[in-house]
Amino acid sequence: MLAIEKLSVSYGRVQALCEVDLEIRDDGVLHGVIGPNGAGKSTLLDAVCGRRRPTGGAVRYRGEDITRRSVAWRRRHGMARSFQRTSVFQNLTVLEQLRLVAQHLGDERFEDVIHVMDLGDYLDQKAGRIAYGVQRRVDVALALIGRPQLLLMDEPGAGLSAVETLRLFQHLRDLVGERKMAAVVVEHDVDAVFACCGKVTVLDLGRHLATGTPSEIRADRRVVAAYLGSAA
Amino acid sequence: MAGAAIGASGASSWRMPLIVSASALLFVIGAAAPTRFAGEFVLRLGEEGLLLGILALSVAFLMNQAGLVALGAASVYGGAGYLFAIAMSEWDMTAIEALAVSLLIVVIYAAFLGALIVRTNPLAFMMLTLAAGEMVSHSVTLEGLRDYTGGADGLVVNFKGSIFGMQAADFANASRFWIVAWSAAWIAGLIIWAARRSRLGAILRAVRENEERMRFSGFNTYAPRLTAFVLVNAIAGACGLLHVLNAGFVSPDSLGLSVSTNTLVAALIGGVDGSIGPIVGGLAFSFAQDQFGAHGATQLFTGLAIVVFIVLLPSGVVGGLLEALQPRARALARRRKDA
Repeated sequence: MLAIEKLSVSYGRVQALCEVDLEIRDDGVLHGVIGPNGAGKSTLLDAVCGRRRPTGGAVRYRGEDITRRSVAWRRRHGMARSFQRTSVFQNLTVLEQLRLVAQHLGDERFEDVIHVMDLGDYLDQKAGRIAYGVQRRVDVALALIGRPQLLLMDEPGAGLSAVETLRLFQHLRDLVGERKMAAVVVEHDVDAVFACCGKVTVLDLGRHLATGTPSEIRADRRVVAAYLGSAA
Repeated sequence: MAGAAIGASGASSWRMPLIVSASALLFVIGAAAPTRFAGEFVLRLGEEGLLLGILALSVAFLMNQAGLVALGAASVYGGAGYLFAIAMSEWDMTAIEALAVSLLIVVIYAAFLGALIVRTNPLAFMMLTLAAGEMVSHSVTLEGLRDYTGGADGLVVNFKGSIFGMQAADFANASRFWIVAWSAAWIAGLIIWAARRSRLGAILRAVRENEERMRFSGFNTYAPRLTAFVLVNAIAGACGLLHVLNAGFVSPDSLGLSVSTNTLVAALIGGVDGSIGPIVGGLAFSFAQDQFGAHGATQLFTGLAIVVFIVLLPSGVVGGLLEALQPRARALARRRKDA
């Protein structure tokens, strides 16, 4: 589904991502990306979804090199993302924004997304006036409209409590499994990632450190030394 | 519950026929009454106000829907007048041909300029429209173009034949032109009303609010803004053509920055949200300028009025009125529901 080949991104002289290789399959498994601050997790998502242009390497999506494709093109071809900082339309009601995007993407069954993200009670409310946790769900719902084949999520649990984060991750795990889609989730909450992701990739200082199942990652000495420490 | 909310209908069924009937009545009264009861001077001020209001309508739409402030409205307004005059005198066109060609050139100019500038941030957009407007304004006074533009003296327009059954003398007649300007204001208002309620309006508002999310939702955020820019310039151009038909001449003054800023002030006075506010703002500005001028302190009073409106009525006259009435309307609806 998604092949990241020797991907590099620089901010001026700072190398945020250095020749990262990664493969994401559409096997219905949530793929977590973890790492310390400055590891390049969000930069990786930005480069994959077209928000930031890589300085080297390539992004292949369903076999096609899409490194220079626009963000809108990627979305129309089944690649969606949510943001670390909630990115919803504050002055539109929840229903208005979901409908606007659904009409554009030709998704006539967007009520499913409302049900899946449990937004039925908030449809007539402006997004700016609902609780932050619900706004996070609207953010993910906007990404889910159009039945994307690849879902990229940047810290969907940011600003939520540990319990809320875990609940959201369980929700996402079930959804990704049901729809047999590919999904990458960047997250700080390691417990939620280990509990709900079938595969985990660890980045450190812009480099790929390890990829494996949660138990493999927990046992990986390099990961323990660089990130997990004695807590693992 | 979600399904019910999704399927909910809009306005009540009785409301639309009532609004249409009231609007039709207002249109007829507004077209006929001033020509019977107002003198020529008042009519002329009203006509100027309506034309300024149409121009303000175009600027307000872009401001309110796309979050872009244009400072070059006058260059299109006056430019269309110059094009009409040149098409009549230099290109030997009939009046109708000259109107069509002038409007077409305005649209092409707007599409070209818009293609270059609508991508920029709001501040850069404002400065670029100002720069483009000033270039157009300066170019008509160039010595090398004097044979075409008349330099600082401008051009007299005296067309032969008729436009939609009206002769040149009819356009110069205050009573007859009032009906033309009044009808044009309604047509422009309806176009803007329809554009606001259309998918274009919804996309523009969403882009204004969160452009990045729109791109990540698969939208092209460039084309809607370009379409809106061309639309408002076409309205400004049509307004400029009405002005030149009425005035019978076009001069560099009609392209000046003061026309653009007056347009902006009129939009702010009336309120940028909706089709009625800018027209009311244009009329208010025109009559107020006359009164301020009579006291010999036009700029001073205009400045004071701007401060008062921006501080006390940030939504403009019409917006402020609606905000004051809305809580009462809601309370009335609640009482009816309870009863």
